[in-house]
Amino acid sequence: MIKNIKLVSLGVLASALCAVALIGTIHAQSAPMTDAQIARIRLNCVSAKNTIAQLHASDALLRVNRGQIYESMTTKLMTRFNDRASSNHYDISGLTLAIQNYNSTLTAFRADYQVYEEQLSSALTIDCTKEPVAFYDAVSLARTQRSQVHVDVTKLNQYIDDYDTVLNVFISSEVTGK
Amino acid sequence: MEEPIQSVDGELTFWGAHKFLLLIALSIAIALALVGISMTLYATSGAAQLDLSRPGYRGVTSQAISSDSGFQNYPNTGPINSSSVNEFKTLYEKQAATAKVVDAFAGDPLNPDALEISASSTPTQ
Repeated sequence: MIKNIKLVSLGVLASALCAVALIGTIHAQSAPMTDAQIARIRLNCVSAKNTIAQLHASDALLRVNRGQIYESMTTKLMTRFNDRASSNHYDISGLTLAIQNYNSTLTAFRADYQVYEEQLSSALTIDCTKEPVAFYDAVSLARTQRSQVHVDVTKLNQYIDDYDTVLNVFISSEVTGK
Repeated sequence: MEEPIQSVDGELTFWGAHKFLLLIALSIAIALALVGISMTLYATSGAAQLDLSRPGYRGVTSQAISSDSGFQNYPNTGPINSSSVNEFKTLYEKQAATAKVVDAFAGDPLNPDALEISASSTPTQ
């Protein structure tokens, strides 16, 4: 009986190892780049780099302009209202939590954009006619990092709405309710 | 105790004879070290990403918002009452709309298909 259990356990373990090895093989097979793709990258390399350079500049402008607005939301409005309410001895725990969430996301936005910009800059420095695979990988990584920046922006917009919701609760319970 | 600039027989020592050269070399070394520190801070602090005067950004520099986008500082002192809260609500809703009007960094411009560098279906070994 014990021998059978051992055999079954060994069988399960072997199956699991085979499955892991198979998944690894499949993953490894999806990685190699085709000759046709390498040729395609070389062919469209210059136009791709021009597009990326334009995106690099327009994203920098977006970062500066949107960043200013996101900064002002917290420094000129949220923090100042919280300070004022706090100095009047109101319970602002909800507002404080909302602003903490916003500020931590703003910090993440700054950091994620920096990582993305550095990656995009490094992609632009690669000679894609000589290193098409490295260029493709660098652009792919920058693409992932850009989507993370967009996630941060979506979260910031969400926290702007959240602060508004908490503010309405604060007004109804603490200001007009008193 | 300071090193004498003259030897006992009245001749200048090496550092005594090259004081001016030493001063210039030290000045250059200090300047280079400070520039190195400044450039490191510039690159690592995120300031470089906000610097639109860098080469490659010249075309968009003029489009950067130089004013405060109409943001007013809400006074952080004073009473909290219906009037002050309504004033804040009006300011906040106006600026929240400005912040959310653009879905920044949306889309997928780095998609390999868009850049025409996408993969082919037949892998090579």
